[in-house]
Amino acid sequence: VPWSIEQVVAIAPTPARFTAADALAVPSRWVVLGADEQALWGRCRGSGREPYDTMVDHVHAAWRCSCPSRSQPCKHALALLVMWVKGQVPAAIAPTGVRTWAEGHARHDPSPAVAGGPMTDDVVDEPAQPEPPVDLDRQRDERVERLMGGLVELERWLDDRVRTGLADPALARYATWDELAARLVDARAGALANRVRRLAGVVGARPDWHEVVLAELGVLHLLARAGRRVPALPGPLADVVATSCGWQVRQADVLAGVPETDLWVVAGRSDTREDRIEVRRTWLRGANTGRWAMVLSFAAYRQSLDTSLVVGEAFSADLHRYPGSSWRALVGVRHADAEPPLPVAPPADTVVDACAAVGEALAAEPWLDRVPVTVAASPTLVDGRWVLSDATGAIALAPTAPGVATLLAASLGQPVDVTVEWTVDGAVPLTVHLADRALDIGPRADLSFVSAA
Amino acid sequence: MSMTITEHWHELVTTSLLGTDRRDPPAPPDGLLADVVDDALEPTPSSRMLTSVAACVVARRAGLLPNPPAAPLTPPDADPRPIVPPAASRRWWSVVATWTVLEDEWLALVGRRGWRPPADVLVALLTRHRHDDARRARVVRLGGPVVPWLLEHQPALRAPPSRRTAGDPGAELPPLAVAPELAGLLDAGPRPVVRALLAGLRDGTFNPTHRPVLVNFVARARADTLQPLATALASAEVPDAVAGLAQSLASLAGTRAAMLQELA
Repeated sequence: VPWSIEQVVAIAPTPARFTAADALAVPSRWVVLGADEQALWGRCRGSGREPYDTMVDHVHAAWRCSCPSRSQPCKHALALLVMWVKGQVPAAIAPTGVRTWAEGHARHDPSPAVAGGPMTDDVVDEPAQPEPPVDLDRQRDERVERLMGGLVELERWLDDRVRTGLADPALARYATWDELAARLVDARAGALANRVRRLAGVVGARPDWHEVVLAELGVLHLLARAGRRVPALPGPLADVVATSCGWQVRQADVLAGVPETDLWVVAGRSDTREDRIEVRRTWLRGANTGRWAMVLSFAAYRQSLDTSLVVGEAFSADLHRYPGSSWRALVGVRHADAEPPLPVAPPADTVVDACAAVGEALAAEPWLDRVPVTVAASPTLVDGRWVLSDATGAIALAPTAPGVATLLAASLGQPVDVTVEWTVDGAVPLTVHLADRALDIGPRADLSFVSAA
Repeated sequence: MSMTITEHWHELVTTSLLGTDRRDPPAPPDGLLADVVDDALEPTPSSRMLTSVAACVVARRAGLLPNPPAAPLTPPDADPRPIVPPAASRRWWSVVATWTVLEDEWLALVGRRGWRPPADVLVALLTRHRHDDARRARVVRLGGPVVPWLLEHQPALRAPPSRRTAGDPGAELPPLAVAPELAGLLDAGPRPVVRALLAGLRDGTFNPTHRPVLVNFVARARADTLQPLATALASAEVPDAVAGLAQSLASLAGTRAAMLQELA
């Protein structure tokens, strides 16, 4: 199966659509399921009298479904892809209707999607009829309009929260947050929706929750304001703001960008649960440029996260960054250069330099939740809280960071090179870089949720 | 004298609890922060409040400064033993994920080699054997002087109060129940072992219900039988009903052979 679950997530119009599809990705709900070298097909029992006929051309990334959804790809097409990725769609000979459609589609679009991801979100029509011209400008304008509408709504909501105060009992109701998040999802501002949902879980969960929520409301205000001014912002900043609001960029567009070729050191890994998807961030650092990059991997329930990037290893490759020179990137062509002896570690900073690097990153993008740095410091205790300290200063570790015991055992209280993620709660240790090995101690996905992660 | 950004932040938090309908947002300290707030597009209290909060958050985060250096911890007593090599360390993680029956042997061999477990394995061992007195005692002994030091600083790794006794480490390699048909072959060489196991699988003497005792046998068989056993079982023609069992035992034999080589 040349697709990964991340690619299926990437083509979903919204995270909610993917969640709906995931629930449908159960073979027992389907009949006449099958797959061949070009297509997937099946009939899904839905709320209608007749099952929906769904087919997907997985080579050209096209889909067709008899359901009434105007959202493309619909949840049935996504569900077919999810089952296929999970190996639940049996190989079969395509029925005539599927074959005709797939061949017709292939005639219209003979170039297969580039390996590494589905590249189109086009709406597929009948092969016998001429395809209507796709008005990309109009589609884009509509998306921008929806996004702007979502940002206006977010600003109004923030205004209400600040007027009525954080002691307002409405904040304790999940619906207060969830309804806004749902509206942001509809406005294609998925990244903002995720931030709002995360915040809902903070209310009442810790003694200083008012402070945490207020700070995040400030960041949301900043993003909403910046998002509405995207056309007036300088190019790279506009790109970063747009993607931080949830503007989706197709993998094809990212892979078509100028590559950054380097020897990439896999410096750290960190897993977090975002709603119903487990997200793996793998932090890379260019051995020559010293620039950081982040590769994301996603897994829904019982699916696997990407394990191809191993902490402590390095690989020579083209990396393609998402617009705005942000950290997020896709790994492109790998080069067969001689690999350095293992383990490979990024250069470590002093604590004061690491703080300066974090500050610089946050000054450029104040909405960042995480900033990677590698420091040479020793773990020690200050007033009952673990910190990483050297002669230049100390930086607090996040109280819930899972790898402190291993960091302590590896360092024996002495200075050691550690890659951490700065977060608002403190630094989260990800990797201890020792002379003969790299210890991957970052937060790990729950094995009851993902498989073989 | 103008207030600091931190003092201003605390005032913002207080105001945020009440809401700007009931209390006006505090005036920001003079300087860049005040300029930013003055530029707020809508001069309503809530808009000024949100702008103040955003500006204050950015200033505090982007101006991250380290705390003063902290005194280092007193290190544990020195332990001159070498650390288990990386490949053997990775093997422990794989063993506890797939063939836990081999864990005791891994610990015993590491002890015999005079090695000490690496940090990640030691912490995982202490966590894993919090409720198993005998194994925990073995882990504590194997961990050396770092263990009491680590337990002092990481109370979560300590055994539950009811189990905080020295614990009897027991036999280094606890005996395992083995299929009676094979018990006599524990000290035998490769040829009779392979022959007996394949014959048993083919004639129905062994079926999937015997899996635990067959696993125990492979976990205790002589080292020189393992590679031939893994090869023979992986390619053996056996009835479908026991094909999975044969593959499983082949995997165990291969894993144990690799483990013994790494710890040799």
